[in-house]
Amino acid sequence: MSERLHGVPTPEGEYFDSGRFAGLSFVLGVVAVIALVLCAVGAIVNPHQFGYSWLFAFAFFFTLCAGCFFWTIVHHATDAEWSVVVRRQLENLGALLTVLALLFVPILLLRHHLFVWMDIPPGVDPSLDTKRAYLNWPFFLVRAVIFLGFFLLAALALRRLSAEQDKDGNPRFTISMRKVSFISLPMFALCLTFGAYDWLVGLNYRWFSTMFGVYIFAGAAGSSMSLLVLVITALRQAGYLKDVVTVEHYHIMGKWMLAFCIFWAYIGFGQYMLIWYANIPEETQYFINRNTQSWWALSMLLVIGRFFVPFAILLLRSVKTHPRQLCIVAAWLVCMQMLDIYLIVLPSLHGTGFHPSIWDLLSVVAIGATLGFVYLRMVPRTSLFPVRDPRLIESLTTVN
Amino acid sequence: MIKTPYGHRVYAMAAEYQSAAALYEAAERVRDAGFRRWDVYSPFPIHGMDEAMGLGKSWLSGWVLFGGVSGLLTAALVEFGPSWFLYPVDVHGKPWNFWTVPAFFPIMFELTVLFAAFAAFFAWQAMNRLPRWNHPMFNWDRFSRVTNDGFFLAIEARDPRFTEDGVRQLLEQTGGQHITIVHED
Repeated sequence: MSERLHGVPTPEGEYFDSGRFAGLSFVLGVVAVIALVLCAVGAIVNPHQFGYSWLFAFAFFFTLCAGCFFWTIVHHATDAEWSVVVRRQLENLGALLTVLALLFVPILLLRHHLFVWMDIPPGVDPSLDTKRAYLNWPFFLVRAVIFLGFFLLAALALRRLSAEQDKDGNPRFTISMRKVSFISLPMFALCLTFGAYDWLVGLNYRWFSTMFGVYIFAGAAGSSMSLLVLVITALRQAGYLKDVVTVEHYHIMGKWMLAFCIFWAYIGFGQYMLIWYANIPEETQYFINRNTQSWWALSMLLVIGRFFVPFAILLLRSVKTHPRQLCIVAAWLVCMQMLDIYLIVLPSLHGTGFHPSIWDLLSVVAIGATLGFVYLRMVPRTSLFPVRDPRLIESLTTVN
Repeated sequence: MIKTPYGHRVYAMAAEYQSAAALYEAAERVRDAGFRRWDVYSPFPIHGMDEAMGLGKSWLSGWVLFGGVSGLLTAALVEFGPSWFLYPVDVHGKPWNFWTVPAFFPIMFELTVLFAAFAAFFAWQAMNRLPRWNHPMFNWDRFSRVTNDGFFLAIEARDPRFTEDGVRQLLEQTGGQHITIVHED
């Protein structure tokens, strides 16, 4: 109806010039190597603290990439229109799960420092013995392989099919991707939920919360949408996607950020209130740990910074349609996701209060730089958006 | 007050259009001609019509915010009032001070949503001057097709720029058909 419908050319595809960012790529590579070597030292010098630090960094980046994978499969399953232009970046970020599967190995090696239940012999703790059918090392290992294997295969399959479609635009690929996505939806829910139980709830085998999987999902989906805003804006800053991603797409991404900001608060509060109100010692220990000592200040920061502040800001339409302002909120939300994971993992180790460690920082830098390096090598291989997607024109002219 | 030779009060001059696209383009021209008191009618919502009509931002959201905030304050009042000050009761050893607030969140949330929804509904009714028994546009027999396949545009007589010849000319230029005067009652 509007003027924009008339005369939208079929775009030729844009390709990332890796030569322009060779310097950045080199720096990231060097930083990654140095940080990984230092992490190896940390794993030997202080394996207890380092195990927790590495798990924290791993879980943070894992939720971000799994969230991007989630948006890809939702895009295909719902035959979404607006997200075609940003889908390639979602696929790229989701494909980083392959690297993360590799970076999971240190957690397996340091398992005895992280998961207390592995070292408790049968007969000592009845509350553990009733869970032995689930909490045992072989099954734990099999589950980890299944979860990571699923993410790895599905993310790679979606990226490959999408890249194949760039060549000839055959709608057959869209159908194939839809099929992969339909299978992936329940698998994603199960793998993320039980992954969260195994690797995060498992830090304290006495604690349980049936909402924990949804809680992790809510944080993952919201923060990965924020990450997408940041990545897309960075590409636009570098001169790409200028005519492809419009303010309408930013508006939609902003709406999703708001939606998952609310959903995260809803789930987080639901989990908190049920446990707080029922007042069962097995359950409350989790929050008593995190709401006392210096952890209390960080928990309050999370409540205010992850919900109240971004909620009020994202309500404004002017922020959602203003890329620079939306980026500030998005960066903030990614930081809050990091704080969220930090508050899930580290209080299990430091029950007496906030205890920062150099290994926390080094682990985040090591995994972050590794993923950044791989991402920069992955982006130039395909066009920055799916050039031959059947719904590309509709996506380019999206109005909301 | 404009009247017809037979003494009827004039509500508007209206025209019918062939399609949603024609109505959209006509709306843009009427907007550019500087009219303020006019409206378009179609069987379904037309995307981007608010922009084509130059409507600007609706202040319904302001009323919704007002409703939401008053719902939140009402809930805080009816919960904190009795449970903190008037008649504190020990429930599971939960505190009597501000930190009992998580127990109150569900009600606060519900009342915020309820009041915001009420505000949205009633403010929307008031802004559209609803409910009403009849609308002058129904005095035009062709207008009954507006719920079927008719696209209409009406420029009201109370618009300061309204002149019979000027408006008729504008509607003709924009491709309007069956141009007619619509009576007020």
